[in-house]
Amino acid sequence: MKADGSFPLLLPAIAIYLGLFFLPLSWLLLESFRLYTPGGIGAAAGAPLTLANYAELLTPAFARFFLETMQISLLASLTGVLLAFPLAYWITRKLSARWRAIAVGFFVTLMFLSVLVRTYALELTFGAAGPLRPFLLALGISPNSRDYIAILVGAGLLHYIVPMATLTLLGTIQNVDPRLVDAAEALGAPAWKAHLTITLPLSMRGVLAAFLFAFTFSISAFIIPMILGKGRVLFISNLIYNRFSEIADYPSGAAISIVLFAVALAIVYAMSRFVAKQWTP
Amino acid sequence: MVGPQPATPDAVIEFRDVSKRFGPTTAVDGVSFAIGAGETVSLLGPSGCGKTTTLRLIAGFETPDEGIIEIAGETMAGKRPYERNVGLLFQHYALFPHMTVAENVAYGLKHRHWPRTEIAGRVDEMLRLVQLRGFGGRRPGQLSGGEQQRVALARVLATRPQLVLLDEPLSALDAKLREELRLELKQILATVRSTTIVVTHDQDEAMSLADRIIVMNRGRIEQQGTPDDVYSQPRTPFVAAFVGRANWIHGRISGEVTGGYARLVTDRGSRLAIRKPPAIAAEQWSVCIRPERMAVAGPGAAAGRAGDNLLPGRVVDIVNMGAALHQVIDCAEGRMMVVEPNRGAAQARKGECVSLLFRAEDCVVLPRVAG
Amino acid sequence: MDDGLRILCLAMIIAVVCFLLIPIAVTVVMAFDARAYLGPLPPPGFSLRWFRQFFADDYFLRGLGTSLQLAAAAITISLSVGVATAFAIDRARFPGKEAAVALFLSPLIVPPVVTGFALLLFLAEMGLVNGFARLLAGHIIITVPYTIRATLAGLAGIDRSLTEAALVLGATERQAFWDVTFPLARTGIVSGAIFALAVSLDDVAVSIMLTDAHTYTLPVALISSMRANFDLSIAAASVLLMLVTLALILALERFVGLNRVIGQGVFR
Repeated sequence: MKADGSFPLLLPAIAIYLGLFFLPLSWLLLESFRLYTPGGIGAAAGAPLTLANYAELLTPAFARFFLETMQISLLASLTGVLLAFPLAYWITRKLSARWRAIAVGFFVTLMFLSVLVRTYALELTFGAAGPLRPFLLALGISPNSRDYIAILVGAGLLHYIVPMATLTLLGTIQNVDPRLVDAAEALGAPAWKAHLTITLPLSMRGVLAAFLFAFTFSISAFIIPMILGKGRVLFISNLIYNRFSEIADYPSGAAISIVLFAVALAIVYAMSRFVAKQWTP
Repeated sequence: MVGPQPATPDAVIEFRDVSKRFGPTTAVDGVSFAIGAGETVSLLGPSGCGKTTTLRLIAGFETPDEGIIEIAGETMAGKRPYERNVGLLFQHYALFPHMTVAENVAYGLKHRHWPRTEIAGRVDEMLRLVQLRGFGGRRPGQLSGGEQQRVALARVLATRPQLVLLDEPLSALDAKLREELRLELKQILATVRSTTIVVTHDQDEAMSLADRIIVMNRGRIEQQGTPDDVYSQPRTPFVAAFVGRANWIHGRISGEVTGGYARLVTDRGSRLAIRKPPAIAAEQWSVCIRPERMAVAGPGAAAGRAGDNLLPGRVVDIVNMGAALHQVIDCAEGRMMVVEPNRGAAQARKGECVSLLFRAEDCVVLPRVAG
Repeated sequence: MDDGLRILCLAMIIAVVCFLLIPIAVTVVMAFDARAYLGPLPPPGFSLRWFRQFFADDYFLRGLGTSLQLAAAAITISLSVGVATAFAIDRARFPGKEAAVALFLSPLIVPPVVTGFALLLFLAEMGLVNGFARLLAGHIIITVPYTIRATLAGLAGIDRSLTEAALVLGATERQAFWDVTFPLARTGIVSGAIFALAVSLDDVAVSIMLTDAHTYTLPVALISSMRANFDLSIAAASVLLMLVTLALILALERFVGLNRVIGQGVFR
């Protein structure tokens, strides 16, 4: 049983979570089953329940958004973790304690940096109206092409993912005994092989965790695709916002929200189960 | 289960049939003992034997499921730790990291309502006792392991508790420091004339600090007695094996009696002279001989008097530990360890045939335990 | 092969660091651009015009004011509730404790737009239309998980035997709490407060759903401005936001220590 006197302390939190989180989410779930009549704001009061909002999501038009979100998120997460690993390794093994602290400070600052600053900075530097425009055109890249914009969105995600993954992997690599690699090399393996067969497998748990964090973050991203996507590349969150602000089709927005939430939940569940249990080194 | 026993007068602490269970596990099983004023008693046993639970029952962090715990004649039922006058030195000291040394030592004094004016003086007195005068302003993080231990001791003794509990006091220190502090600890405890219980798994710690040893195993008391009692007259195979090293020979007792000695016929067929076994009906017996009670002689040695035992064997290994020779001998009864003082005389060599000599008086005879 | 790999890795590291830093550097440089328009690098001259433009803009200033008020109110409530909750959970012993903690941390998993949208619909249904109140509700629910998590992590680092030592020395449970547990949990609490502050000041996705014409936060104002006309006053605002971030990081380092923050795994 709980220690005496603890329970009253939990009441404010329970009230807040109930009123500001669980009930609203339940309400959202309910709204997603309501029928929307075009021209109104949200579902009319007393509208019948329907699965139409969800059925709509199975159409190719929606599937396209879903796939593009997944695609860009996947690429960004993979790239981010791939880049973060050597970075984290270098910081852990090759830097002195003082420089390591500075590097950590650097990455923490980058993580704390406002998403607005990030996206603005990227749009300013690499965007169509920015100072790099002449260089891009000279290279034959059109800053207004859809592919470029998609890549820019990915870059925006990377700008958060790389510091986050690096910091996560710092702890992971610190836990890998460097002498194991020394032992492998003493047995005749070249450095690259030693790392591939020793450092990498032992860090797998952290790598997977970082990847799943990055992926959850990416699919939920809102500002980054909103600013850098310029309305041409839309993530699921942007779709929800559009349903809400432009069309006032709340039930549809609600249905998309629930689907996005479910996917995020599934990934986190997979993370806690799979990563924790399977990858014991 | 034994019925309620009369209270032992003048005991500082008494346990009567105390039991404590955690779910399906019985950590402490019908434990009874009494400790008098000024005594230092050690609870000795392997991890999981219940000694730590016993300690926590005394301090008040756990409540017994059965039995009575009395401190200075007063029952401790329903008494929280702060309502008991007991001092506890934690294994890892548990010094408050955010307070200075002086504040740590003064903490108990504050909460036991010592007059404000006397606290500073008492803190000073305690720091002098543990030879850390002038350390009052430092923080635990700035101290070495040995210094932390002394501050913890000062903190425990400051409030003059009726009973001092030490939880593995020397285990967190390295070997050299352990030696130094062992003597100091003993002297400090003698100076304040405290009644002390030392909980430990380390036989050396128990033997060197305690007047009396209580050996525990699986929640029960196996044997209580002075260090010598427990070592020379172990009453169970567990105690014999846990306290000190033991050589074992197993067999059955034949009816013969020669020259006042009984006869043991071993599993391998050897015939040994032993003292009369305790009057317990048992088929199988185990004989325990301490390594220093055995001797190694040349292969041609013969048994002299009645009660001498001789076993032919072969030297497997000799280790010269400086002050003593540790010899491992293989014989028909298995592998034996013999420890003899290093007198500089010629030693046997590996592979040599030798004779193992030991007296019937040095054999501890116990009923055989399976496994 | 080894050397080739080493050079490749080093090149990769340099490229990544450049990628992370260059946009920031460009923004900082352009924020001081003397030109009245967005032109190619490098700027011919430097001035503070964009900063002046930012501070002269009522739209932004209102947003700033609201952001600060919201942050103050949200942090106060989040901290009180979060710390109380963390202490209660830490002390209690019951099966499913881990599930309870996961439940309290669950808002961190939900995509922010979804949180905002759900709150919007629900609060509208409940009849709550006041802009500031709605925003406050949103900011509370997104900051509380951080205060709970950071405080719990701080409490987990406290050796249990310290409380027991206090008890056996004569302190009651309550005295032991204030003498030992609370002072040692302070770093966790401060860490949570700083994270909550950062989250509240930075939030866009939740705020954008809950905002109305009169009440909006600075980030929301900046977003609207960014979509409408992409000029350099936003660069100036960015530089100011960077300074705020730096201040928060320095506070974190000074009061908590960054290595402790990493070790606790406070990042998602």
